[in-house]
Amino acid sequence: MSNYFNTLPLREQLNQLGVCDFMDSSEFLDGVNALKGKKLVIVGCGAQGLNQGLNLRDSGLNVSYALRKEAIEGKRDSWKNATENNFTVGTYEELIPTADVVINLTPDKQHTAVVNAVMPLMQQGATLSYSHGFNIVEEGTQIRKDLTVIMVAPKCPGSEVRAEYVRGFGVPTLIAVHPENDPQGKGLAQAKAYCVGTGGHKAGVLKSSFVAEVKSDLMGEQTILCGLLQTGSILSFDKMVEKGIDAGYASKLVQYGVEVITEALKHGGVTGMMDRLSNPAKIKAFEISEELKDIMRPLFQKHQDDIMSGEFSRIMMEDWANGDKNLLAWRAETGETAFEKTPAADVKINEQEYFDNYTLMVAFVRAGVELAFETMVQAGIKPESAYYESLHETPLIANTIARKKLFEMNRVISDTAEYGCYLFDQACKPLLADFMTRVDTDLVGKNFNEGKDNGVDNRKLIAVNEALRTHQVETIGATLRKAMTAMKTIKTA
Amino acid sequence: MSEPVVHITNLTLKYRHKPVLQDLNWTIKRNENWLLCGASGSGKTSLAKAIAGLTHSYGNIEICFNPNNSSPALAYYVANWFQFKDLEGQSNFYYQQRYNKQAVETTATVKAELESFGGKHALEIKELDRILAALGFSALVNSTLIQLSSGEHKKLQLVKAIWLKPQLLILDLPYNGLDVASRQNLNLLLDEISATGSQLILISNDTELPACLDHFAVIESGKLIEIEADERSSYEIDLISDRVPAFINDFAIPKTDTEIIKMVDVNISYGDKQVLKNINWEVKSGEKWVLQGHNGSGKSTLLSLICGDHPQAYANNFYLFGNKRGSGESIWEIKARIGLISPELHWYFDPSATVAQSIISGFYDSSGLFCDPGYTKKAQADELIHYFGLTAYQNTLMNELPLGKQRLALLARTIVKNPELLILDEPCQGLDQQQTRHFNQLVDELCSHGTTLIYVGHFESQLPACIENRILLENGAVKTVENIFSIT
Ligand SMILES: NC(=O)c1ccc[n+]([C@@H]2O[C@H](COP(=O)([O-])OP(=O)(O)OC[C@H]3O[C@@H](n4cnc5c(N)ncnc54)[C@H](OP(=O)(O)O)[C@@H]3O)[C@@H](O)[C@H]2O)c1
Repeated sequence: MSNYFNTLPLREQLNQLGVCDFMDSSEFLDGVNALKGKKLVIVGCGAQGLNQGLNLRDSGLNVSYALRKEAIEGKRDSWKNATENNFTVGTYEELIPTADVVINLTPDKQHTAVVNAVMPLMQQGATLSYSHGFNIVEEGTQIRKDLTVIMVAPKCPGSEVRAEYVRGFGVPTLIAVHPENDPQGKGLAQAKAYCVGTGGHKAGVLKSSFVAEVKSDLMGEQTILCGLLQTGSILSFDKMVEKGIDAGYASKLVQYGVEVITEALKHGGVTGMMDRLSNPAKIKAFEISEELKDIMRPLFQKHQDDIMSGEFSRIMMEDWANGDKNLLAWRAETGETAFEKTPAADVKINEQEYFDNYTLMVAFVRAGVELAFETMVQAGIKPESAYYESLHETPLIANTIARKKLFEMNRVISDTAEYGCYLFDQACKPLLADFMTRVDTDLVGKNFNEGKDNGVDNRKLIAVNEALRTHQVETIGATLRKAMTAMKTIKTA
Repeated sequence: MSEPVVHITNLTLKYRHKPVLQDLNWTIKRNENWLLCGASGSGKTSLAKAIAGLTHSYGNIEICFNPNNSSPALAYYVANWFQFKDLEGQSNFYYQQRYNKQAVETTATVKAELESFGGKHALEIKELDRILAALGFSALVNSTLIQLSSGEHKKLQLVKAIWLKPQLLILDLPYNGLDVASRQNLNLLLDEISATGSQLILISNDTELPACLDHFAVIESGKLIEIEADERSSYEIDLISDRVPAFINDFAIPKTDTEIIKMVDVNISYGDKQVLKNINWEVKSGEKWVLQGHNGSGKSTLLSLICGDHPQAYANNFYLFGNKRGSGESIWEIKARIGLISPELHWYFDPSATVAQSIISGFYDSSGLFCDPGYTKKAQADELIHYFGLTAYQNTLMNELPLGKQRLALLARTIVKNPELLILDEPCQGLDQQQTRHFNQLVDELCSHGTTLIYVGHFESQLPACIENRILLENGAVKTVENIFSIT
């Protein structure tokens, strides 16, 4: 098997990278009809598998689960998840041959093995669905020509997929049809129906391609989402300890700070987050984030280049073949950092204090979000896709850090993201060494405004606000967030 | 004369920038037990929180604890609303998550929670069993927090408070969601702790109260006025207008012969714990039912099946609106025909929606509003906003309003689409008696046009007049199904 993207001529590469259509709600008027009465068999019952299945069934579709023998015999969690929620569970042999749609929701690393086991059992003309395109694009798995291949990728963790559905809403979702596998031309209709079944159509659906989804997803998770949050957290913690701030306080500030800060990002974009700072702090955060962008730009570009060329997947798959040697070593190393090992102190930190005392993280987040977005767009990824894979997902990842620090983050994200995160972190720390020597406790650990008067130069502030607000991630974000939260205007006939 | 225990002078307090209490004065003396009543929004909760030191206020609050009293020197507040956290200290749970098997193990057990509370306050474990038994809670100690119903969460808080026996105990609407037996036992326990070192401030508009209460007060226009026990009812303020909204009379719901609900031997269990046992029940179009049973008898699980909220519905034999459940219908098709209010719906409701958005969201059965409803729906909602006296609050966010007002908005949401089936699970929690009476009149009015009704209420005296059938659950099984005539 060879990397699918690399087998394409340039024109087709650009073509597929550029598939990006924010779908109008009128495209979903047919509801779940394209899948009604069809037999949907989900392979794997983990975070995505269970929650997508619950939603699809509650939308009136016929859902059952095919699990590997060991899971059924060992009554593993996946088996419990499915049976205790009253789903039919069976082996591949029992369920796949009669399935109209087989939904592969196993971990990405297992996809080749799973698809090899499942494909021969699938009936002629059936559909194979994914929630992430790595297997098709990076591993270049070839799917039987009679099968339709689609992707429905919720841009949220599984629990969120369920929580938003039961409140009558959904999570933003990317859908795609693999151009090599749409023999009957039914792929898009099925992907749309699937998306209605999970509730995604209420929160904004982006018609994408396998290629665009993978190349942007990898880039986002490695750089801003996981990589920079990890690097920024560790550097911030170490700096505070070095400068004599109480380690327990520092641990708490870092653990919960990213979540509080990115909550503002979620609601109001980079602008909303920066607006939480006092005017002098905002100007300072702007200046240092400009500096950070200059320092880190080559690294972001390298990650994007390696993702585009397939170099990233190649070395990662080498590591898979090598028993995850690098991954496990880096994971162990992360578990040993001082931040990870210092328990958060039982001190109260007010919401605003997280901004005032952790201005450095605000700068990291702004720099990372904008850089990831800019780099993706330069590489030919459309702004809407770039937005979902950078700004949109940052608060979701930050939430996992608040739960149990970096260990939890790396446990929850996929192995692919984890591998990329460590790669980034390894390279980024030395890059920032010099910058960090110039950082003091006014930026991290103490209130930036302490002992300063609140005055700023009008023109300077206006220029800063202007630069923040007119960035493309902000303009596109405003449109997409509107679709996501409230008051989407429905066209009346 | 005994010395003052709580001495409040010139207390002024704002709730979200609106003045609530204005130069309020109040003296509570040793051994006095007070009842505090007043309309919803009058400032009862704010005052209670100020005394417990949980909210910022201007003026002076002095509390003199008795150093010779062995009870903890604390002003302990039991909120009208409750929140719990998972093992990682977070509390972002979602609606009906407790029915999702996968999610159950992320919260502590009741036992662990109580042990940690007892440890923190150095309480005697042996005292606990009796309190648990009196409130019917003993069987739940091994449950996890997320599995508890709202009534059970309420009880857990009361168990803690009574076990703690603080010198000053402030209870905010403690009877909400409690069944008859628990209410009576709670009153006995309160009498008991008040005789042995605790003083009570009880916020309630209910009539069955502990005997130890000897002082009564109402908050009006930001001031506290002491009243006589029998003066209470005249202080209730009418907030719901009398004229029923016009649209309610405009649509009659066609009567059909098919059963609205038909359950055949319905069973629900979690592991080896069976919560519903062989339920057989039929509800015909236009019937008015009351569903009763002790806390934990299975009422909310039964209702969650009907509302399409329970995943185990798919393994059972039952019919909704004539269709077998799990035969290809979506839960949204089911919800479209039901108007639901329940403590859980309220608890998980989107706190950042405005009152108007919340009401309109009833058309879509969503928690919060995600689309533009158009003119007709807005107009219908407007009528209800007016009817429920919410005009001044229509653009206020839900989380900026006191509980009683939020509840009125959600009641309006429940009926805004004039549904075929109304499921009212303790609809009047947090309302005063006058508001409850008015709401029940509205329910009677609605139901005279063919609506089918299932009503859950723990207070016999607060049921709508139209109710004609009763189903009583006990420990997950149907105890009685009967016709009842004229509850007056
Ligand atoms: N997590 C997210 O936030 C997210 C978001 C969007 C898309 N996705 C995508 O969704 C897919 C599933 O991810 P997930 O996070 O839901 O995974 P997960 O929670 O790790 O669940 C994986 C499931 O697959 C089963 N499984 C593991 N190895 C297997 C094998 N070799 N053969 C058969 N079954 C196997 C596991 O059950 P047993 O081990 O018991 O057999 C488990 O039920 C991935 O493609 C991922 O990229 C994830």
